[in-house]
Amino acid sequence: MRSYAARRLVAAVGVTLGVTVATFLLLHVEPGDPARLVLGEHASPQAVAALRRSWGLDRSLPSQFWRFLSGLLRGHLGKSYVYGVSATSLIGQRIGVTLALVALATLFAVVIAVPLATLAAARKERPLDHLVRGLSVLGLGMPAFWFGIVLIEVFAVHLKLLPVGGWGSSPGQHLEGLVLPALTASFAIVPILVRSLRVGMAEVLDAEFIATVRSKGIGEVRVLLAHVARNALIPTLTLLGINVAFLVGSTVIVEQVFDLNGLGSLLLDAITNRDFPVVQAVTLVLAAIVVVLNLLTDLLAARLDPRIRLR
Amino acid sequence: MTNPYEREMSRRTLLRRGAGGATAVALGALWPGVGAAASRRAAATPTLGGTLKFARSVAPTELDPANSIIAGDVYTLDKIFEPLYVTSPTGQLTPWLATGSTASKDQKTFTFALRPGVKFSDGSPLGPADVVFSINRSRKNAKGPLSFLDSAITALEAKGSGSVVVQLAEPWAPFLSDISVFANAILPDNFGGKSEAEFFAKPVGTGPFTLASFQSDASSLTLAKNPGYWQSGKPYLDAVEFLYVDDDNQRVLQLRGGQVDLIDSVPPADVSSLKSDSGLSVGLYPAWEVDLLVMNEKLPQYADLHVRRAITYAINRPALVAASSFGTAKPGGSFFPPSLEYYSASTPVLAASLSAAKAELAKSSFPKGFKTTLLIDGGVQKWRTFAQIIQQQLAPLDIDVTINALDHAAFEATFQKLDYDLFIDYAINDISDPDEMASFELDFKAGGSGSYWSSYDNPAVIKLVHQAEAEPVPARRAALYAKIQALVAGDAPFVPLDYPPYIYAFSSKVQGFAVNPGGAYRLEDVWLA
Repeated sequence: MRSYAARRLVAAVGVTLGVTVATFLLLHVEPGDPARLVLGEHASPQAVAALRRSWGLDRSLPSQFWRFLSGLLRGHLGKSYVYGVSATSLIGQRIGVTLALVALATLFAVVIAVPLATLAAARKERPLDHLVRGLSVLGLGMPAFWFGIVLIEVFAVHLKLLPVGGWGSSPGQHLEGLVLPALTASFAIVPILVRSLRVGMAEVLDAEFIATVRSKGIGEVRVLLAHVARNALIPTLTLLGINVAFLVGSTVIVEQVFDLNGLGSLLLDAITNRDFPVVQAVTLVLAAIVVVLNLLTDLLAARLDPRIRLR
Repeated sequence: MTNPYEREMSRRTLLRRGAGGATAVALGALWPGVGAAASRRAAATPTLGGTLKFARSVAPTELDPANSIIAGDVYTLDKIFEPLYVTSPTGQLTPWLATGSTASKDQKTFTFALRPGVKFSDGSPLGPADVVFSINRSRKNAKGPLSFLDSAITALEAKGSGSVVVQLAEPWAPFLSDISVFANAILPDNFGGKSEAEFFAKPVGTGPFTLASFQSDASSLTLAKNPGYWQSGKPYLDAVEFLYVDDDNQRVLQLRGGQVDLIDSVPPADVSSLKSDSGLSVGLYPAWEVDLLVMNEKLPQYADLHVRRAITYAINRPALVAASSFGTAKPGGSFFPPSLEYYSASTPVLAASLSAAKAELAKSSFPKGFKTTLLIDGGVQKWRTFAQIIQQQLAPLDIDVTINALDHAAFEATFQKLDYDLFIDYAINDISDPDEMASFELDFKAGGSGSYWSSYDNPAVIKLVHQAEAEPVPARRAALYAKIQALVAGDAPFVPLDYPPYIYAFSSKVQGFAVNPGGAYRLEDVWLA
């Protein structure tokens, strides 16, 4: 297990570093001058050049990259061109929103997907199963922003049960503000989870040991929960890990639709303004979150299923 | 849903986002109320108190007037700091912290009388030293995005306890307009003894509001009533909460859901549905803004006058506006918008005519047409619509247009390097005087943009622009600008496509809200019914 974990960890660090280099290169290949954007179109070329110099943008690419890397090693992610504060502090203000959104969306996804998949597997090839599978296909085809707007129209504008958007100012308001976005985000992964969990459970249901369990006279609910679900858990867990990583990416859109000031909206603003240090820092943090989630999934799966460690 | 690339944060964004169209609302009808319903109730006694929740597409990042240009900063700090003059919602220059000014005979010395009894929010009185300090600081700020507006000034000095004398290098007709720009807002002399950083963390101004709280990531900013404001009885509101809501849909939905009272940059497509909601009102405010199709005269085809005129004739501007603005914009004519002083309604515009376009092209060196690219900021729906319509309208001339859509920053960098054939952008004026727009778009060498990156260079036009700058008599200036507009219409360096207004929407309880053609809204007159 130790050597497996070590190998995964090295790969994780490699991936994060790769993302950092790729982001840096893409940012500098793309046209667009942050100094010009900050100073406006009336700015003199001298003022633009002076600002570029103060940000170190007049140096060579390798030297700029080295500055970024050495800063990173010392724990400095640079200072935002636009807000004039450190990228770390901006991320600190925003990361809670994104993590809370991802956590609640994951919870919703599991709470919705597990019962649906169980029902479908227990009623395999019957109308209920077809209904669940049909809905999953429908869900897969539904763009998150559109679904989000429908939820806002119904629950916020008409029923006035929940806020249209925003993060509010108290923990209660934060939670209220997260319900619709988390539901929207979860719907991006629920169909995938339902389908894979259903297949997993159906396979287990057909297995011989289930016949044995049933022959002992154990109730169907207990069979499903204690024996089937447990065995279908490992592939689903892996899938959930990958999909939660996908959720992290989709928060960029969901935060935009619901006016949540998380990392996703920070990243979009930073790209538009060519706020290089912030883009670089947020990408790094998002990449790290995804990598850590994948790593945890791998390790958990290996823990649950010894066969994985030997691969 | 808004394309994320539409999130550029400059002042220009606010203009562009509100963009979409001109309006049937006459300039004079806007002040003091907004729309018929608002002005009916404006006669009522304002209610005191309450917090205005204002969701904006722009975010404040810093509050130093001398360093600001982006909309989120400018339209926030102007509630805290005030200049000597301001522009009213009808576009009139109005004495503000000054009660007036007198000019010497040679038009090179201006004396401002300061308004008596004005106090900063810390209680200290406004004096001439504050004015001298503030305007000197702004004009000498090498990084100042709008410092160039003060370039005519050579010296300022305090005179007595209530006057300031300003010396100019030469007679400069736009001077009072320049003084009204937010960059020339008045701060206490020497920051009231604090360091610059300390001062802007807790800014002190003469404005109707003071800073109550500011999230450094710009997501929200709250202003509180300045109880010692010089206009007694105002502001009516206790507080203003600015929220940064970038997404167009989200802003509209927050207003409809009653979460906020007022929103900016309403997409033209949403105007009619918002108007039909009985609890909401929509305000269209004429802007000093023109959308332009710019042609690159560094290229042989666009250096050819006949090609430029052919393209201008071929573009049917009323059709373009009808297809894109949902009845909010007016079709373009002169390169000056109708809201700008010295706009000439009698400018001989090359109105849409396919036969005239074909005749012009036949006279050019490219009678059989050519292939060309049209560069746009692809994040803005309106530009995509414009580009597609222009593509179709130029097809009968065998001008084969390929659309090149980039994200905002890349778009700007590309046309500023002159690496384009055609591009669409919007031109704005920051002050009430048209000289800024005239010199920026026409003065190839000194204007700062190489004639809006078109490289259009007509010495006769440039001479007239400079004459107008030095001409103090309004009637004579009007005649000069009419001549300039006629010459430019004939030379066709760019096609003025449309005049879009600012579009705001608000709950019916919001009273007294108005926007001036520069895009600024003063909130001391706003109250909640």
